[in-house]
Amino acid sequence: MSVILTFTLNGEITEVAVSPSDTLLDILRDKLNLVGSKKGCGKGECGACTVIMNGEAVNSCLVPALKASGANVETIEGIGSVEKFHPLQESFMDLGAIQCGFCTPGMIMSSKALLDKNPNPAREDVREAISGNICRCTGYVKIEEAVLDAAKKLQERPARRG
Amino acid sequence: MKNYNVVGHSVRRFDAVEKATGTATFTTDIKLPGMLYGKVLRSPHPHARIISIDTTEAEKMPGVKAAATYKNTPRVKYNGAATSMITLPPMAPVEDQYVFDNVVRYVGDEVAAVAAISEAVAEAALKLIKVEYEALPAVYDPLEAVSPATPEVHKECREGKNISGDLTKLNMGDVEKGFAECDVVIEDTFKVPVQKQVQMETQSAVAQVGLDGKITVWSTTQAPHPCKMILSKVFNIPQSKLRVLNPPYIGGGFGVRIGFSGKAEPIAVALSMLAKRPVKVVYTREEDFIASDTRHAGYITVKLGAKKDGAFHCIDMNATLNTGAYASWGVEAPAVLGCMGLAVYRIPNQNYIGRSVYTNTTPAGAMRGFGNPQGIFALESAVDMIAEKLGMDPVELRLKNIIQVGDPWVLPYQCASTGLAECIERGAKSIGWERRSKLNRPGDKILRGIGIGVGTHCSNAWPWFGDYSNAYVTVHQDGSVHLATGVPDMGTGTSTTLPQILAEALGVELESVSITFADTQATPFEIGSHASRTCYCAGNAVVAAAQDVRKQLLDYAAELLKVPPEKLDIKNSIIYIMGETAVDCSCSCAPVRQISLKEIAWRAHQQNKQFIGVGRIIPENAPPWHAHLAEVEVDTETGQVRVIKVVAAHDAGKVINPVIVEGQIQGGVLQGVGYAISEEIRYNDKGKQLHDAFHKYMLPTAEDVPEMEAIIVETNEPTGPFGAKGVGECGMVPTAPAITNAFYNATGIRLKEIPLTQEKVFMALKERA
Ligand code: FES
Ligand code: FES
Repeated sequence: MSVILTFTLNGEITEVAVSPSDTLLDILRDKLNLVGSKKGCGKGECGACTVIMNGEAVNSCLVPALKASGANVETIEGIGSVEKFHPLQESFMDLGAIQCGFCTPGMIMSSKALLDKNPNPAREDVREAISGNICRCTGYVKIEEAVLDAAKKLQERPARRG
Repeated sequence: MKNYNVVGHSVRRFDAVEKATGTATFTTDIKLPGMLYGKVLRSPHPHARIISIDTTEAEKMPGVKAAATYKNTPRVKYNGAATSMITLPPMAPVEDQYVFDNVVRYVGDEVAAVAAISEAVAEAALKLIKVEYEALPAVYDPLEAVSPATPEVHKECREGKNISGDLTKLNMGDVEKGFAECDVVIEDTFKVPVQKQVQMETQSAVAQVGLDGKITVWSTTQAPHPCKMILSKVFNIPQSKLRVLNPPYIGGGFGVRIGFSGKAEPIAVALSMLAKRPVKVVYTREEDFIASDTRHAGYITVKLGAKKDGAFHCIDMNATLNTGAYASWGVEAPAVLGCMGLAVYRIPNQNYIGRSVYTNTTPAGAMRGFGNPQGIFALESAVDMIAEKLGMDPVELRLKNIIQVGDPWVLPYQCASTGLAECIERGAKSIGWERRSKLNRPGDKILRGIGIGVGTHCSNAWPWFGDYSNAYVTVHQDGSVHLATGVPDMGTGTSTTLPQILAEALGVELESVSITFADTQATPFEIGSHASRTCYCAGNAVVAAAQDVRKQLLDYAAELLKVPPEKLDIKNSIIYIMGETAVDCSCSCAPVRQISLKEIAWRAHQQNKQFIGVGRIIPENAPPWHAHLAEVEVDTETGQVRVIKVVAAHDAGKVINPVIVEGQIQGGVLQGVGYAISEEIRYNDKGKQLHDAFHKYMLPTAEDVPEMEAIIVETNEPTGPFGAKGVGECGMVPTAPAITNAFYNATGIRLKEIPLTQEKVFMALKERA
């Protein structure tokens, strides 16, 4: 039995047939082929599947797909491109915050949710924002630096109007 | 130290863009037409015989396409660790498992598997498999497992009951006489826990069995070529028809998949053969915890003797490690433990015996440091204990005793470089070692302490295994350069540092280099990414391949430029006459004094020729060195230990990419912090893991990260590519003893067992009060 789910995904109205037991992560990865969001546990414990839903970082593996009905969802695929990276992507690349890369999409999305709300975070804010994202490779040091660096870059940019 | 154009620079990683944008492909991302999903039925018993197994009902379920058990899969014994393919004679690998067996030996052991059109259907079908078990007695502790009263986990144990494979025995000098000559001797036994790699991508594989008999396996393995060899043996398929590859990224490794320690690969192949469709097997996190290799837990005894002046004179070490239900790297982990433990200090009389013991727990295998962190925790605790007895400063005592270039040691290769003294000195200065005696006042509820741990490691797998490297370098018809190497990049930066080495060795721009890696049909043999070997060994092969192709290029250019090839060099992809400046000029105003790679490759092409370099090397080995200094805070009311700062000073030879090396050190340090204070898997009395999920296994999070300082001490290692040595595992090695020695400095309590959990510390403080 499937139901049509309608929501905004990375700025585009998206319709997809889902079954009631699907999670948001399932439909992103399996139905919409957006495999940037990763599954490290499927239980809300590692943050690899983090996306932004209505402005909040959420573990998409815990969100029933139907809960996303009418929501505004952003994933790693939607925040920047090779032509114009998001400053977080740039800072992660330049400061060595990426090793295996499996945690990276989730880390970037948790960080983006933070910066969207708090453009001038302290180190503690960054730590708190990514405390639900497990990274086993980096020891978090360069990730923290990258997020702070991206915040700085965003602040230096002329504020966009309109 | 020499300055290079590409080597030594923190260039952006080749994999950065794909990983930052979510487009990097991992095994878990693969989806093929007609692909089925495999799920595994696991043993609920720690030890049992399967009396009967019936999959009929499961196979009848709509959507189920195949079921596999020991009855319809190969009865070929193997060892999923690469050891089975690279063990050097006269030693023989321990091969003690089947894809499925009729005896299960730990809770989680594979019993059967099903392939179906979805994971949900496959999971439901597992519930329809009927298994009747005869429970057998089980044993969980390695010291118990060798005693006469306990059950046999495996029958064929040539060194004694439940001992897995060979013992490691190392000896130098005369230990009995040595101890008699010592003024001070200490002896103690230390206990180390089961640690888990917890790499972020769980064990996974996708197998596609072609109708032409070819098999392709996308895998999370750190060792594609050995993985191919093991699968070839189990399934009796020529190696040339088996393609194992990373797709090309792996979500971490840390030793858990040097070969395949979970069975995702063979199970995917078995199911794909039965179903005649591609099959994907992705372990859940819980499966990854309970059914793929862990670090070895165990007991290590150190007896250390010194002369009055502090000169170490004699050491006797022994280790009994718990290798769990199957050997995996059980023979080699105690071997590396002993070799590395004995290689740190100049001690004329040395003895070591190490062994691994089977128990009915999750198999233990390789994890970052490979036995070394276990041994170094014990050794470096003992060194601090003897320092106290001698009345000497732990830093001074270490500086007095550490190995110097040319000192004899138990290893068959030379110590040709060491920066350890500088690591210790700079580390001690940075942490403020002199504050050590003045950190606390009477009545303080929070006690502070500073401690040190030092160590060494290897830069490849020899002499514990066979180790050699190959690389191909191809110059394309436009002068751009392609590198093919069999090693993976599991996040450690190989796919960037090897091109850096190639660009430097050949004299081309990094931008013109591309790399194919970790694919058994597109790359020559490599034993894999482990043993801190990738940069050192594969790097040396890349240098050799670069030299080979360079010679071809210069010989060819020599004829065109009418000068002997010895007079030519390559810089920025231009072949020029040494002593004359290379200019980027392609006009025909002057006689040809230089030629670009682009031009020469095209000319050669028009004369039916391509430049192809092959590098084949058999590596030496080289010791990286490291000193870690830690500052801790102990809350005497709650027992909580907080690590405030870790300074990690490393001699990794010449550093190819500083940011990547720092990242390796920082990541290793945090895993070491976890090992020291929180990470541990325990079992209940029925053999079930108590810590089989993220919320039960206490990994450090971003909020637990101490202030970290990575100090790079560069030395020039004559056997390494551009002077480089291994580094990948080193951050893990001496972190735990630095922390436990700091804990002792804070509290005066010597805990001989890690991790220093709150409970353990609380009890110890209470006992003393
Ligand atoms: S996969 Fe969602 S939190 Fe781990
Ligand atoms: S980069 Fe590997 S888990 Fe974070």
